[in-house]
Amino acid sequence: MNPPLDSSAPDATLVRAAQEGDRTAYGHLYSRYARMIHGILLARVAPHHVEDLVQDVFLRALPKLPSLRDPAYFPGWLATIARNRAADFHRHAKTDLPLDAEASAEKPATSGKLVTPQTSHSEARAALQAIRSLPEAYREPLILRLVEGMTGPEIAARTGLTHGSVRVNLSRGMQQLREILNRKGSPASEGDL
Amino acid sequence: MTTNDPTKIPERDDYLWDGSGAPDPEIQRLESLLAQFRQDTRPLALRHEAAQGGLPFLRFWQKGWVPLRLAVAAAVLLALGVALLFLRQTRNTETQIAWNVATLAGGPQIGAQTISATDVNAKLLVGQTLTTDSTSRASVFQDDLGEIQVEPNSRVHLLRSGPEHKRIQLEVGTIHAAIWAPPTQFIVDTPSATAVDLGCAYTLQVNADGSGTLRTTLGWVGFHLNGRNSFIPAGAMCLTRPGIGPGAPYFEDAAPQFREALHIFDTSDPSSEAHTQQLAVILAQARAKDALTLWHLLSRTRGPERAKVYDRLAALVPPPNGITRDGVLALDRKMLDRYWDALGLGRISVWRMWEQPTAPAS
Repeated sequence: MNPPLDSSAPDATLVRAAQEGDRTAYGHLYSRYARMIHGILLARVAPHHVEDLVQDVFLRALPKLPSLRDPAYFPGWLATIARNRAADFHRHAKTDLPLDAEASAEKPATSGKLVTPQTSHSEARAALQAIRSLPEAYREPLILRLVEGMTGPEIAARTGLTHGSVRVNLSRGMQQLREILNRKGSPASEGDL
Repeated sequence: MTTNDPTKIPERDDYLWDGSGAPDPEIQRLESLLAQFRQDTRPLALRHEAAQGGLPFLRFWQKGWVPLRLAVAAAVLLALGVALLFLRQTRNTETQIAWNVATLAGGPQIGAQTISATDVNAKLLVGQTLTTDSTSRASVFQDDLGEIQVEPNSRVHLLRSGPEHKRIQLEVGTIHAAIWAPPTQFIVDTPSATAVDLGCAYTLQVNADGSGTLRTTLGWVGFHLNGRNSFIPAGAMCLTRPGIGPGAPYFEDAAPQFREALHIFDTSDPSSEAHTQQLAVILAQARAKDALTLWHLLSRTRGPERAKVYDRLAALVPPPNGITRDGVLALDRKMLDRYWDALGLGRISVWRMWEQPTAPAS
Protein backbone atom coordinates (compact mmCIF):
# COMPACT_ATOMS: atom_id res chain seq x y z
CA MET A 1 0.00 0.00 0.00
CA ASN A 2 1.38 3.42 -1.00
CA PRO A 3 1.77 6.09 1.69
CA PRO A 4 -0.63 9.06 1.39
CA LEU A 5 0.66 11.80 -0.88
CA ASP A 6 1.93 15.00 0.64
CA SER A 7 -0.10 18.12 -0.09
CA SER A 8 2.99 19.70 -1.63
CA ALA A 9 3.31 16.99 -4.28
CA PRO A 10 3.38 18.29 -7.86
CA ASP A 11 0.11 18.62 -9.73
CA ALA A 12 0.96 15.77 -12.09
CA THR A 13 1.55 13.38 -9.20
CA LEU A 14 -1.68 14.37 -7.49
CA VAL A 15 -3.70 14.15 -10.70
CA ARG A 16 -2.36 10.68 -11.54
CA ALA A 17 -3.06 9.48 -8.02
CA ALA A 18 -6.57 10.95 -8.12
CA GLN A 19 -7.17 9.24 -11.45
CA GLU A 20 -6.41 5.96 -9.71
CA GLY A 21 -8.97 6.69 -6.98
CA ASP A 22 -6.82 8.38 -4.33
CA ARG A 23 -9.30 10.60 -2.52
CA THR A 24 -6.62 12.31 -0.46
CA ALA A 25 -4.84 13.38 -3.61
CA TYR A 26 -8.07 14.78 -5.00
CA GLY A 27 -8.60 16.63 -1.72
CA HIS A 28 -5.16 18.22 -2.15
CA LEU A 29 -6.09 19.30 -5.66
CA TYR A 30 -9.29 20.79 -4.29
CA SER A 31 -7.35 22.74 -1.68
CA ARG A 32 -4.98 23.97 -4.36
CA TYR A 33 -7.57 24.97 -6.96
CA ALA A 34 -10.76 25.79 -5.08
CA ARG A 35 -9.91 29.50 -4.87
CA MET A 36 -9.31 29.67 -8.61
CA ILE A 37 -12.59 27.91 -9.36
CA HIS A 38 -14.39 30.14 -6.87
CA GLY A 39 -13.03 33.20 -8.67
CA ILE A 40 -14.00 31.90 -12.11
CA LEU A 41 -17.54 31.21 -10.91
CA LEU A 42 -17.82 34.51 -9.07
CA ALA A 43 -17.03 36.26 -12.34
CA ARG A 44 -20.24 34.78 -13.74
CA VAL A 45 -22.67 33.77 -11.00
CA ALA A 46 -24.31 35.58 -8.07
CA PRO A 47 -22.19 35.30 -4.91
CA HIS A 48 -24.58 33.23 -2.83
CA HIS A 49 -24.60 30.41 -5.38
CA VAL A 50 -20.85 30.20 -5.80
CA GLU A 51 -19.81 28.08 -2.80
CA ASP A 52 -22.20 25.30 -3.77
CA LEU A 53 -21.13 25.47 -7.38
CA VAL A 54 -17.47 25.13 -6.42
CA GLN A 55 -18.32 21.84 -4.72
CA ASP A 56 -20.38 20.84 -7.70
CA VAL A 57 -17.55 21.52 -10.15
CA PHE A 58 -15.15 19.30 -8.21
CA LEU A 59 -17.75 16.56 -7.82
CA ARG A 60 -18.51 16.64 -11.54
CA ALA A 61 -14.83 16.66 -12.42
CA LEU A 62 -13.95 13.61 -10.34
CA PRO A 63 -15.64 10.89 -12.43
CA LYS A 64 -14.33 12.56 -15.61
CA LEU A 65 -10.78 12.72 -14.33
CA PRO A 66 -9.67 9.35 -15.79
CA SER A 67 -10.40 10.76 -19.26
CA LEU A 68 -7.79 13.50 -18.78
CA ARG A 69 -4.77 12.17 -20.65
CA ASP A 70 -2.15 14.75 -19.76
CA PRO A 71 -2.12 15.88 -16.10
CA ALA A 72 -0.49 19.14 -17.20
CA TYR A 73 -3.85 20.19 -18.63
CA PHE A 74 -5.64 19.76 -15.31
CA PRO A 75 -5.93 23.49 -14.44
CA GLY A 76 -7.31 24.48 -17.82
CA TRP A 77 -9.55 21.43 -17.95
CA LEU A 78 -10.98 22.20 -14.52
CA ALA A 79 -11.44 25.87 -15.38
CA THR A 80 -13.39 24.88 -18.48
CA ILE A 81 -15.69 22.68 -16.40
CA ALA A 82 -16.26 25.65 -14.08
CA ARG A 83 -17.06 28.04 -16.93
CA ASN A 84 -19.42 25.51 -18.50
CA ARG A 85 -21.07 24.91 -15.15
CA ALA A 86 -21.67 28.65 -14.74
CA ALA A 87 -23.24 28.84 -18.21
CA ASP A 88 -25.34 25.78 -17.44
CA PHE A 89 -26.43 27.32 -14.17
CA HIS A 90 -27.72 30.41 -15.95
CA ARG A 91 -29.60 28.30 -18.46
CA HIS A 92 -31.33 26.14 -15.90
CA ALA A 93 -31.30 27.99 -12.58
CA LYS A 94 -34.62 28.06 -10.81
CA THR A 95 -33.88 30.41 -7.98
CA ASP A 96 -37.21 30.14 -6.27
CA LEU A 97 -35.70 30.34 -2.83
CA PRO A 98 -37.96 30.64 0.16
CA LEU A 99 -38.08 34.22 1.34
CA ASP A 100 -36.05 33.55 4.46
CA ALA A 101 -33.33 31.93 2.39
CA GLU A 102 -33.26 34.90 0.03
CA ALA A 103 -32.88 37.29 2.91
CA SER A 104 -30.07 35.32 4.45
CA ALA A 105 -28.40 35.01 1.07
CA GLU A 106 -28.09 38.77 1.02
CA LYS A 107 -25.91 38.80 4.08
CA PRO A 108 -22.15 38.91 3.62
CA ALA A 109 -20.85 35.43 2.86
CA THR A 110 -18.23 35.38 5.58
CA SER A 111 -18.64 36.79 9.03
CA GLY A 112 -16.12 39.06 10.65
CA LYS A 113 -14.67 40.41 7.43
CA LEU A 114 -16.83 43.48 7.15
CA VAL A 115 -17.46 46.20 9.67
CA THR A 116 -20.53 48.05 8.41
CA PRO A 117 -22.68 45.44 6.70
CA GLN A 118 -25.44 47.47 5.04
CA THR A 119 -23.38 50.18 3.36
CA SER A 120 -20.25 48.15 2.75
CA HIS A 121 -22.15 45.20 1.36
CA SER A 122 -23.90 47.49 -1.06
CA GLU A 123 -20.57 49.07 -2.02
CA ALA A 124 -18.99 45.66 -2.36
CA ARG A 125 -21.79 44.49 -4.64
CA ALA A 126 -21.32 47.60 -6.75
CA ALA A 127 -17.56 47.00 -6.96
CA LEU A 128 -18.07 43.36 -7.86
CA GLN A 129 -20.64 44.34 -10.46
CA ALA A 130 -18.16 46.81 -11.95
CA ILE A 131 -15.52 44.08 -12.24
CA ARG A 132 -18.04 41.76 -13.84
CA SER A 133 -18.78 44.39 -16.47
CA LEU A 134 -15.16 44.28 -17.67
CA PRO A 135 -14.03 42.15 -20.62
CA GLU A 136 -13.52 38.51 -19.63
CA ALA A 137 -9.76 38.72 -20.05
CA TYR A 138 -9.63 41.24 -17.20
CA ARG A 139 -12.54 40.00 -15.11
CA GLU A 140 -11.12 36.69 -13.97
CA PRO A 141 -7.62 37.84 -12.99
CA LEU A 142 -9.02 40.87 -11.16
CA ILE A 143 -11.42 38.72 -9.16
CA LEU A 144 -8.65 36.24 -8.36
CA ARG A 145 -6.44 39.12 -7.23
CA LEU A 146 -8.90 41.43 -5.43
CA VAL A 147 -11.46 38.95 -4.11
CA GLU A 148 -9.59 35.68 -3.69
CA GLY A 149 -6.39 37.37 -2.56
CA MET A 150 -4.13 35.52 -4.99
CA THR A 151 -0.97 37.22 -6.20
CA GLY A 152 -0.13 37.63 -9.84
CA PRO A 153 2.46 34.83 -9.79
CA GLU A 154 -0.07 32.53 -8.11
CA ILE A 155 -2.68 33.36 -10.77
CA ALA A 156 -0.16 32.61 -13.49
CA ALA A 157 0.79 29.31 -11.87
CA ARG A 158 -2.83 28.21 -11.43
CA THR A 159 -4.14 29.32 -14.81
CA GLY A 160 -1.13 28.32 -16.87
CA LEU A 161 -0.80 31.79 -18.37
CA THR A 162 2.55 33.56 -18.53
CA HIS A 163 3.50 36.14 -15.93
CA GLY A 164 3.49 38.78 -18.64
CA SER A 165 -0.04 38.02 -19.75
CA VAL A 166 -1.45 37.99 -16.24
CA ARG A 167 0.38 41.18 -15.33
CA VAL A 168 -0.89 43.04 -18.38
CA ASN A 169 -4.45 41.81 -17.86
CA LEU A 170 -4.37 42.82 -14.20
CA SER A 171 -2.98 46.23 -14.97
CA ARG A 172 -5.34 47.03 -17.84
CA GLY A 173 -8.30 45.62 -15.99
CA MET A 174 -7.49 47.71 -12.94
CA GLN A 175 -7.19 50.79 -15.10
CA GLN A 176 -10.64 50.20 -16.58
CA LEU A 177 -12.06 49.43 -13.16
CA ARG A 178 -10.75 52.71 -11.78
CA GLU A 179 -12.39 54.58 -14.65
CA ILE A 180 -15.72 52.87 -14.02
CA LEU A 181 -15.62 53.44 -10.29
CA ASN A 182 -14.64 57.08 -10.75
CA ARG A 183 -17.49 57.58 -13.21
CA LYS A 184 -19.98 55.99 -10.85
CA GLY A 185 -18.72 58.28 -8.09
CA SER A 186 -19.60 61.40 -10.08
CA PRO A 187 -22.84 60.82 -11.96
CA ALA A 188 -23.74 63.13 -14.81
CA SER A 189 -25.92 66.13 -14.14
CA GLU A 190 -29.61 65.92 -15.01
CA GLY A 191 -29.88 69.64 -15.69
CA ASP A 192 -28.72 69.70 -19.28
CA LEU A 193 -31.74 68.15 -20.93
CA MET B 1 -8.46 34.65 -20.27
CA THR B 2 -6.61 35.86 -23.32
CA THR B 3 -2.93 36.49 -23.67
CA ASN B 4 -1.39 39.86 -24.33
CA ASP B 5 1.92 41.19 -25.47
CA PRO B 6 4.18 40.75 -22.43
CA THR B 7 6.46 43.45 -23.74
CA LYS B 8 3.77 45.94 -22.70
CA ILE B 9 3.97 45.24 -19.01
CA PRO B 10 3.25 48.52 -17.28
CA GLU B 11 5.51 49.83 -14.60
CA ARG B 12 4.70 50.82 -11.00
CA ASP B 13 2.06 48.14 -10.50
CA ASP B 14 4.06 46.00 -8.11
CA TYR B 15 1.43 46.16 -5.42
CA LEU B 16 -1.27 44.97 -7.81
CA TRP B 17 1.05 42.27 -9.11
CA ASP B 18 2.29 40.60 -5.95
CA GLY B 19 1.58 42.91 -3.02
CA SER B 20 5.11 44.31 -2.98
CA GLY B 21 6.07 47.94 -3.57
CA ALA B 22 4.15 50.95 -2.32
CA PRO B 23 0.61 49.99 -1.33
CA ASP B 24 -2.09 51.48 -3.54
CA PRO B 25 -4.88 52.79 -1.26
CA GLU B 26 -7.60 52.20 -3.84
CA ILE B 27 -6.56 48.59 -4.36
CA GLN B 28 -6.27 48.06 -0.61
CA ARG B 29 -9.78 49.41 -0.16
CA LEU B 30 -11.15 47.13 -2.87
CA GLU B 31 -9.38 44.14 -1.33
CA SER B 32 -10.93 44.92 2.03
CA LEU B 33 -14.37 45.54 0.55
CA LEU B 34 -14.43 42.47 -1.67
CA ALA B 35 -13.00 40.06 0.89
CA GLN B 36 -16.55 39.20 1.96
CA PHE B 37 -17.01 37.34 -1.32
CA ARG B 38 -13.83 35.29 -0.88
CA GLN B 39 -13.98 31.52 -0.93
CA ASP B 40 -14.61 30.10 2.51
CA THR B 41 -12.61 27.16 3.84
CA ARG B 42 -15.34 24.58 3.35
CA PRO B 43 -13.79 21.14 2.72
CA LEU B 44 -14.80 19.18 -0.32
CA ALA B 45 -17.80 17.01 0.51
CA LEU B 46 -17.00 13.98 -1.61
CA ARG B 47 -19.86 11.62 -2.07
CA HIS B 48 -18.78 8.06 -1.33
CA GLU B 49 -20.16 6.71 -4.58
CA ALA B 50 -18.47 9.34 -6.70
CA ALA B 51 -15.16 8.89 -4.97
CA GLN B 52 -15.33 5.15 -5.47
CA GLY B 53 -15.46 5.58 -9.22
CA GLY B 54 -19.13 5.76 -10.05
CA LEU B 55 -22.70 5.60 -8.86
CA PRO B 56 -24.46 2.20 -8.51
CA PHE B 57 -26.44 2.97 -11.65
CA LEU B 58 -23.24 3.57 -13.59
CA ARG B 59 -21.76 0.34 -12.32
CA PHE B 60 -24.91 -1.49 -13.45
CA TRP B 61 -24.77 0.26 -16.80
CA GLN B 62 -21.20 -0.86 -17.34
CA LYS B 63 -21.60 -4.45 -16.21
CA GLY B 64 -25.31 -5.38 -16.25
CA TRP B 65 -27.11 -7.92 -18.48
CA VAL B 66 -27.49 -6.40 -21.98
CA PRO B 67 -31.28 -7.00 -22.53
CA LEU B 68 -31.97 -5.57 -19.10
CA ARG B 69 -29.82 -2.54 -19.88
CA LEU B 70 -31.82 -1.96 -23.10
CA ALA B 71 -35.09 -2.24 -21.19
CA VAL B 72 -33.89 0.27 -18.63
CA ALA B 73 -32.79 2.61 -21.42
CA ALA B 74 -36.25 2.41 -23.02
CA ALA B 75 -37.91 3.12 -19.69
CA VAL B 76 -35.65 6.11 -19.10
CA LEU B 77 -36.42 7.51 -22.56
CA LEU B 78 -40.13 7.10 -21.96
CA ALA B 79 -39.85 8.86 -18.61
CA LEU B 80 -37.89 11.69 -20.23
CA GLY B 81 -40.57 12.10 -22.88
CA VAL B 82 -43.29 12.33 -20.26
CA ALA B 83 -41.22 14.81 -18.28
CA LEU B 84 -40.66 16.98 -21.35
CA LEU B 85 -44.38 17.04 -22.11
CA PHE B 86 -45.06 18.04 -18.52
CA LEU B 87 -42.46 20.79 -18.66
CA ARG B 88 -43.93 22.21 -21.87
CA GLN B 89 -47.36 22.33 -20.34
CA THR B 90 -46.20 24.02 -17.16
CA ARG B 91 -43.74 26.39 -18.82
CA ASN B 92 -45.97 29.42 -18.57
CA THR B 93 -46.54 29.07 -14.85
CA GLU B 94 -43.08 30.23 -13.85
CA THR B 95 -42.17 30.83 -10.25
CA GLN B 96 -42.32 34.49 -9.24
CA ILE B 97 -39.44 35.61 -7.07
CA ALA B 98 -39.79 38.32 -4.43
CA TRP B 99 -37.37 41.25 -4.60
CA ASN B 100 -35.53 42.49 -1.54
CA VAL B 101 -36.15 46.10 -0.59
CA ALA B 102 -33.91 48.28 1.59
CA THR B 103 -34.60 51.82 2.67
CA LEU B 104 -31.83 54.23 1.73
CA ALA B 105 -33.56 57.37 3.05
CA GLY B 106 -36.93 58.41 4.50
CA GLY B 107 -39.84 56.01 4.40
CA PRO B 108 -40.53 54.40 1.02
CA GLN B 109 -43.78 52.47 0.78
CA ILE B 110 -44.82 49.14 -0.65
CA GLY B 111 -48.51 49.63 -1.19
CA ALA B 112 -49.66 51.40 1.96
CA GLN B 113 -46.93 49.92 4.15
CA THR B 114 -43.97 52.12 5.05
CA ILE B 115 -40.56 50.41 5.03
CA SER B 116 -38.33 51.53 7.86
CA ALA B 117 -34.57 51.74 7.66
CA THR B 118 -34.25 48.85 10.10
CA ASP B 119 -36.57 46.52 8.20
CA VAL B 120 -34.25 43.94 6.63
CA ASN B 121 -37.01 41.60 5.47
CA ALA B 122 -39.01 43.91 3.23
CA LYS B 123 -40.05 42.31 -0.06
CA LEU B 124 -41.61 43.58 -3.25
CA LEU B 125 -43.93 41.01 -4.85
CA VAL B 126 -45.34 40.82 -8.35
CA GLY B 127 -48.32 43.17 -8.58
CA GLN B 128 -47.07 45.47 -5.82
CA THR B 129 -45.95 49.07 -6.19
CA LEU B 130 -43.00 50.73 -4.49
CA THR B 131 -43.47 54.45 -3.93
CA THR B 132 -41.00 57.07 -2.73
CA ASP B 133 -41.95 60.58 -1.66
CA SER B 134 -39.79 63.70 -1.86
CA THR B 135 -37.55 62.57 1.00
CA SER B 136 -37.30 58.82 0.54
CA ARG B 137 -35.09 56.52 -1.53
CA ALA B 138 -34.99 52.75 -1.75
CA SER B 139 -32.84 49.95 -3.08
CA VAL B 140 -34.51 46.97 -4.75
CA PHE B 141 -32.26 44.03 -5.45
CA GLN B 142 -31.95 40.39 -6.38
CA ASP B 143 -28.68 38.52 -6.41
CA ASP B 144 -29.40 36.96 -9.78
CA LEU B 145 -30.39 40.26 -11.34
CA GLY B 146 -28.64 43.26 -9.89
CA GLU B 147 -29.67 46.34 -7.98
CA ILE B 148 -32.11 49.15 -8.73
CA GLN B 149 -31.99 52.33 -6.70
CA VAL B 150 -35.26 54.20 -6.64
CA GLU B 151 -34.90 57.96 -6.26
CA PRO B 152 -37.40 60.34 -4.57
CA ASN B 153 -40.86 60.95 -6.06
CA SER B 154 -40.91 57.66 -7.94
CA ARG B 155 -43.42 54.85 -8.48
CA VAL B 156 -42.19 51.40 -9.49
CA HIS B 157 -44.60 48.56 -10.23
CA LEU B 158 -43.30 44.96 -10.31
CA LEU B 159 -44.91 43.26 -13.31
CA ARG B 160 -42.98 40.02 -13.63
CA SER B 161 -40.24 38.27 -11.70
CA GLY B 162 -39.56 34.83 -13.10
CA PRO B 163 -36.22 33.06 -12.82
CA GLU B 164 -35.17 34.32 -16.24
CA HIS B 165 -37.30 37.36 -16.95
CA LYS B 166 -37.95 40.37 -14.80
CA ARG B 167 -40.10 43.31 -15.76
CA ILE B 168 -41.01 46.48 -13.92
CA GLN B 169 -42.94 49.60 -14.81
CA LEU B 170 -41.50 52.98 -13.92
CA GLU B 171 -44.62 55.13 -13.85
CA VAL B 172 -42.80 58.27 -12.77
CA GLY B 173 -39.52 59.24 -11.14
CA THR B 174 -35.95 58.03 -11.48
CA ILE B 175 -34.17 54.70 -11.10
CA HIS B 176 -30.51 53.75 -11.34
CA ALA B 177 -30.16 50.16 -12.52
CA ALA B 178 -26.97 48.08 -12.22
CA ILE B 179 -27.76 44.77 -13.88
CA TRP B 180 -25.59 41.69 -13.99
CA ALA B 181 -28.18 39.21 -15.25
CA PRO B 182 -27.63 38.04 -18.83
CA PRO B 183 -28.70 40.57 -21.51
CA THR B 184 -32.44 41.00 -22.25
CA GLN B 185 -33.60 39.47 -18.96
CA PHE B 186 -34.48 42.80 -17.32
CA ILE B 187 -37.08 45.09 -18.88
CA VAL B 188 -38.49 48.43 -17.74
CA ASP B 189 -41.70 49.82 -19.17
CA THR B 190 -42.28 53.56 -19.12
CA PRO B 191 -45.26 55.53 -20.48
CA SER B 192 -43.35 56.37 -23.67
CA ALA B 193 -40.85 53.53 -24.28
CA THR B 194 -39.56 50.21 -22.99
CA ALA B 195 -35.95 49.80 -21.86
CA VAL B 196 -34.30 46.41 -22.39
CA ASP B 197 -31.08 45.72 -20.52
CA LEU B 198 -28.31 44.54 -22.81
CA GLY B 199 -25.70 44.16 -20.07
CA CYS B 200 -25.33 47.46 -18.37
CA ALA B 201 -25.86 50.12 -15.76
CA TYR B 202 -28.10 53.05 -16.53
CA THR B 203 -30.33 55.80 -15.20
CA LEU B 204 -33.90 56.07 -16.35
CA GLN B 205 -36.03 59.10 -15.56
CA VAL B 206 -39.74 59.53 -16.29
CA ASN B 207 -41.51 62.89 -16.02
CA ALA B 208 -45.12 63.44 -14.97
CA ASP B 209 -46.13 63.92 -18.63
CA GLY B 210 -44.72 60.51 -19.55
CA SER B 211 -41.63 61.81 -21.33
CA GLY B 212 -38.30 60.49 -20.14
CA THR B 213 -34.55 60.22 -20.39
CA LEU B 214 -32.25 57.22 -20.40
CA ARG B 215 -28.52 57.56 -19.69
CA THR B 216 -26.21 54.58 -19.94
CA THR B 217 -23.10 54.39 -17.77
CA LEU B 218 -21.97 50.83 -18.56
CA GLY B 219 -22.66 48.43 -21.44
CA TRP B 220 -25.68 49.37 -23.54
CA VAL B 221 -29.47 49.52 -23.42
CA GLY B 222 -32.19 49.00 -26.01
CA PHE B 223 -35.03 51.51 -25.87
CA HIS B 224 -38.06 50.95 -28.06
CA LEU B 225 -41.67 51.73 -28.83
CA ASN B 226 -43.71 50.22 -31.66
CA GLY B 227 -40.72 49.18 -33.74
CA ARG B 228 -38.83 52.44 -33.18
CA ASN B 229 -35.57 51.26 -31.63
CA SER B 230 -32.73 53.20 -30.07
CA PHE B 231 -29.53 51.63 -28.81
CA ILE B 232 -27.79 53.61 -26.11
CA PRO B 233 -24.17 52.73 -25.29
CA ALA B 234 -22.19 53.89 -22.27
CA GLY B 235 -21.73 57.65 -22.23
CA ALA B 236 -24.80 58.25 -24.38
CA MET B 237 -28.36 59.27 -23.61
CA CYS B 238 -31.74 59.28 -25.27
CA LEU B 239 -34.97 61.24 -24.81
CA THR B 240 -38.38 59.68 -25.25
CA ARG B 241 -41.81 61.23 -25.64
CA PRO B 242 -45.33 59.80 -25.35
CA GLY B 243 -46.76 58.78 -28.67
CA ILE B 244 -43.42 59.23 -30.43
CA GLY B 245 -41.05 56.93 -28.60
CA PRO B 246 -37.31 57.18 -28.18
CA GLY B 247 -35.43 59.81 -30.13
CA ALA B 248 -32.04 59.23 -31.70
CA PRO B 249 -29.44 58.63 -28.97
CA TYR B 250 -26.39 60.85 -28.71
CA PHE B 251 -23.21 61.02 -26.71
CA GLU B 252 -23.39 63.42 -23.84
CA ASP B 253 -20.22 65.17 -24.92
CA ALA B 254 -21.64 66.05 -28.35
CA ALA B 255 -21.59 69.72 -29.35
CA PRO B 256 -24.46 71.79 -27.85
CA GLN B 257 -25.62 72.82 -31.33
CA PHE B 258 -25.71 69.17 -32.34
CA ARG B 259 -27.81 68.22 -29.34
CA GLU B 260 -30.18 71.13 -29.68
CA ALA B 261 -30.70 70.46 -33.37
CA LEU B 262 -31.34 66.79 -32.66
CA HIS B 263 -34.01 67.60 -30.06
CA ILE B 264 -35.85 69.82 -32.52
CA PHE B 265 -35.39 67.33 -35.36
CA ASP B 266 -36.83 64.48 -33.28
CA THR B 267 -40.01 66.37 -32.47
CA SER B 268 -40.65 68.55 -35.51
CA ASP B 269 -42.90 67.78 -38.48
CA PRO B 270 -40.79 65.84 -41.02
CA SER B 271 -42.20 67.95 -43.82
CA SER B 272 -41.32 71.26 -42.14
CA GLU B 273 -38.48 73.53 -43.10
CA ALA B 274 -37.20 73.45 -39.53
CA HIS B 275 -36.75 69.71 -39.83
CA THR B 276 -34.53 70.07 -42.90
CA GLN B 277 -32.58 72.94 -41.35
CA GLN B 278 -31.88 71.01 -38.16
CA LEU B 279 -30.68 67.99 -40.10
CA ALA B 280 -28.13 70.20 -41.83
CA VAL B 281 -26.84 71.37 -38.44
CA ILE B 282 -26.66 67.79 -37.15
CA LEU B 283 -24.66 66.61 -40.14
CA ALA B 284 -22.33 69.60 -40.05
CA GLN B 285 -21.62 69.22 -36.34
CA ALA B 286 -21.26 65.42 -36.28
CA ARG B 287 -17.95 63.89 -35.21
CA ALA B 288 -16.87 60.32 -35.96
CA LYS B 289 -18.18 59.36 -32.53
CA ASP B 290 -21.60 60.74 -33.49
CA ALA B 291 -21.95 57.92 -36.00
CA LEU B 292 -24.08 56.51 -33.18
CA THR B 293 -26.68 59.19 -33.89
CA LEU B 294 -26.35 59.18 -37.66
CA TRP B 295 -26.86 55.41 -37.83
CA HIS B 296 -30.18 55.86 -36.03
CA LEU B 297 -31.18 58.73 -38.31
CA LEU B 298 -30.93 56.47 -41.37
CA SER B 299 -34.23 54.84 -40.49
CA ARG B 300 -35.81 58.11 -39.35
CA THR B 301 -35.31 60.01 -42.59
CA ARG B 302 -36.49 59.51 -46.14
CA GLY B 303 -35.37 60.08 -49.71
CA PRO B 304 -32.75 62.80 -50.15
CA GLU B 305 -32.45 63.34 -46.39
CA ARG B 306 -31.49 59.70 -45.84
CA ALA B 307 -28.93 59.95 -48.63
CA LYS B 308 -27.36 62.97 -46.91
CA VAL B 309 -27.23 61.11 -43.62
CA TYR B 310 -25.62 58.09 -45.26
CA ASP B 311 -23.02 60.17 -47.08
CA ARG B 312 -22.00 61.92 -43.86
CA LEU B 313 -21.95 58.66 -41.92
CA ALA B 314 -19.85 56.95 -44.58
CA ALA B 315 -17.43 59.89 -44.55
CA LEU B 316 -17.03 59.64 -40.78
CA VAL B 317 -17.03 55.83 -40.49
CA PRO B 318 -16.41 54.05 -43.79
CA PRO B 319 -18.86 51.18 -44.24
CA PRO B 320 -17.46 47.64 -43.91
CA ASN B 321 -16.95 45.54 -47.02
CA GLY B 322 -20.17 44.31 -48.57
CA ILE B 323 -22.26 47.26 -47.49
CA THR B 324 -23.56 49.33 -50.36
CA ARG B 325 -25.05 52.80 -50.45
CA ASP B 326 -28.14 51.51 -52.24
CA GLY B 327 -28.57 48.73 -49.70
CA VAL B 328 -28.42 51.08 -46.75
CA LEU B 329 -30.72 53.62 -48.40
CA ALA B 330 -33.20 50.76 -48.91
CA LEU B 331 -32.80 50.01 -45.18
CA ASP B 332 -31.48 46.51 -45.83
CA ARG B 333 -31.50 45.16 -42.30
CA LYS B 334 -28.48 42.91 -42.66
CA MET B 335 -26.43 45.81 -43.95
CA LEU B 336 -27.66 48.12 -41.23
CA ASP B 337 -26.84 45.50 -38.62
CA ARG B 338 -23.33 45.00 -40.00
CA TYR B 339 -22.81 48.75 -40.06
CA TRP B 340 -23.90 48.95 -36.44
CA ASP B 341 -21.53 46.18 -35.41
CA ALA B 342 -18.73 48.05 -37.16
CA LEU B 343 -19.30 51.01 -34.84
CA GLY B 344 -18.01 48.88 -31.96
CA LEU B 345 -20.84 49.79 -29.59
CA GLY B 346 -22.29 46.31 -29.04
CA ARG B 347 -23.35 43.30 -31.10
CA ILE B 348 -26.82 43.88 -32.47
CA SER B 349 -27.48 40.13 -32.71
CA VAL B 350 -28.32 40.19 -28.99
CA TRP B 351 -31.17 42.57 -29.73
CA ARG B 352 -32.32 40.69 -32.81
CA MET B 353 -32.61 37.48 -30.77
CA TRP B 354 -34.72 39.32 -28.21
CA GLU B 355 -36.93 40.66 -31.00
CA GLN B 356 -37.83 37.16 -32.21
CA PRO B 357 -41.55 36.33 -31.92
CA THR B 358 -40.71 33.64 -29.37
CA ALA B 359 -39.04 36.16 -27.10
CA PRO B 360 -40.79 36.41 -23.77
CA ALA B 361 -43.04 39.25 -22.79
CA SER B 362 -42.03 41.63 -25.54
